[in-house]
Amino acid sequence: MPLTDSSRLASSKTVFKRELLAYFDSTIAYVYASVFLVCSATIFMNSFFLNAVVDMDPYFEILPLLLIPLVPAITMRSWAEERAQNTFELLMTLPLTPLQIVVGKYFSALCFFVLVLCGSLPIVVMLSWLGEPDAGVIAASYFGAVMLGAFFLSFGQFVSSLTHDQIVAYVLATLFGFVFVLTGHDKVVEVVDGLLPDAQLGTWLYESISVVPHYEAFCRGVISGADILYFVFLSSFFLWMNALSLQRSKY
Amino acid sequence: MISVASVTKQYGNLTAVDKVSFQVQLGEIVGFVGPNGAGKSTMLKMLSTYLYPTSGQIFIDGLDVVKEPLEVRRRIGYLAGDTPLYRDMRVDKFLQFVGAARGLVKEELKNSFERVVDLCDIDSVLLQRVSECSTGFRQRIGLATALIHDPPILLLDEPTHGFDPLQVIAFRELLRSMSTDKAILFSTHIVSDVEAISDRVLIIHLGKLLGDGRQEEVAAAAGVTGASLETVFAQLVRAAH
Repeated sequence: MPLTDSSRLASSKTVFKRELLAYFDSTIAYVYASVFLVCSATIFMNSFFLNAVVDMDPYFEILPLLLIPLVPAITMRSWAEERAQNTFELLMTLPLTPLQIVVGKYFSALCFFVLVLCGSLPIVVMLSWLGEPDAGVIAASYFGAVMLGAFFLSFGQFVSSLTHDQIVAYVLATLFGFVFVLTGHDKVVEVVDGLLPDAQLGTWLYESISVVPHYEAFCRGVISGADILYFVFLSSFFLWMNALSLQRSKY
Repeated sequence: MISVASVTKQYGNLTAVDKVSFQVQLGEIVGFVGPNGAGKSTMLKMLSTYLYPTSGQIFIDGLDVVKEPLEVRRRIGYLAGDTPLYRDMRVDKFLQFVGAARGLVKEELKNSFERVVDLCDIDSVLLQRVSECSTGFRQRIGLATALIHDPPILLLDEPTHGFDPLQVIAFRELLRSMSTDKAILFSTHIVSDVEAISDRVLIIHLGKLLGDGRQEEVAAAAGVTGASLETVFAQLVRAAH
């Protein structure tokens, strides 16, 4: 009997629920949430007291750098732990397609990330109490943060599918995270361009690999279809690669 | 129900299963016996669609495992060798997860859950985490996950691992009670398990099938008519070296 769209969705939902409960059932989730919130709030409050400006720009400026080491902490267990506990075999012999499993896992990680991000909402309340921050810019910035996190999660989950070792998954995802973010920094672009002036490698990396320009557009309050499409396409691509890597393990 | 035709599985240069062919019919309990590393688990992994064969064909209930893996998985109950369970989950939640992933909902899920809890006698550990259960209980939980959708085909890899003698007896009775409407293939290196419950035996060593038939047929083919299965097994394995 062929699967209907609703039963496909139900299968992903079953995986989603199990994974989400597993996050909240593990102490690492609470450690992760605490570290993320303490670091981001501390950095923001420092800048807030120094500049005395009622906006969240400093928070969203530092966010990509914070996500580099923290998002891989969510995704490193995704597949590596399944393989280490041998539950990978259980999952892969249930009547679910690799993509259904990948999507279920991904949305549980995304949901967890969004919930952690929501932990910063008291800052918005505080700013609203102290003055009149630009609500549109803040909302767009949050949307951009979710888009950026969604991309990092899909990439981290894909990397986790390539290895049995959580530490290797973490290190690789962090390393590539640095590449995706640092290639968007002006100073890095200048230095890399300076190494090979004819090739303009730094500029090429900025334009083709870095996620920063697309994220920064959201932080300026601009929600463009092109930037949304960019993150949706990249996230979908790595989810698809993730499903392919699972399928390949059968041969 | 299970048809294996000249199946080979290679891991790089290593041939784990070498041109193996056999069939299992509905109502049969077939014991798959061989020493450690003989290729039993690899064969079961291929039957369960976890791995695809390098060459040859496998049909489960007439369906090709490579072309229609999802349909095949709906028809089989599979207990993998190392009993993969989510150790951080509570036993009842874990069983409900597997049932839901197998498409069972509401009343159907509730009834199936109650049926396997009763069949596998695991009601005393339902509220414990899997990690807190003994090896024998974990094995029974694994068996419950394989049975929750009442599949017509059962593939069990070392199902009595970790069982005490009483549990082994209960397990044999359970298999016997289910055998009328199922095709059951189980692997083991404990020859007495095969002697006690199998209608037929498959002997595998170094990836090759050395014997296939009723115990007396396999003994006759090995030239030790009337000998115990243990003797037949030892004779065939030694002769293969």
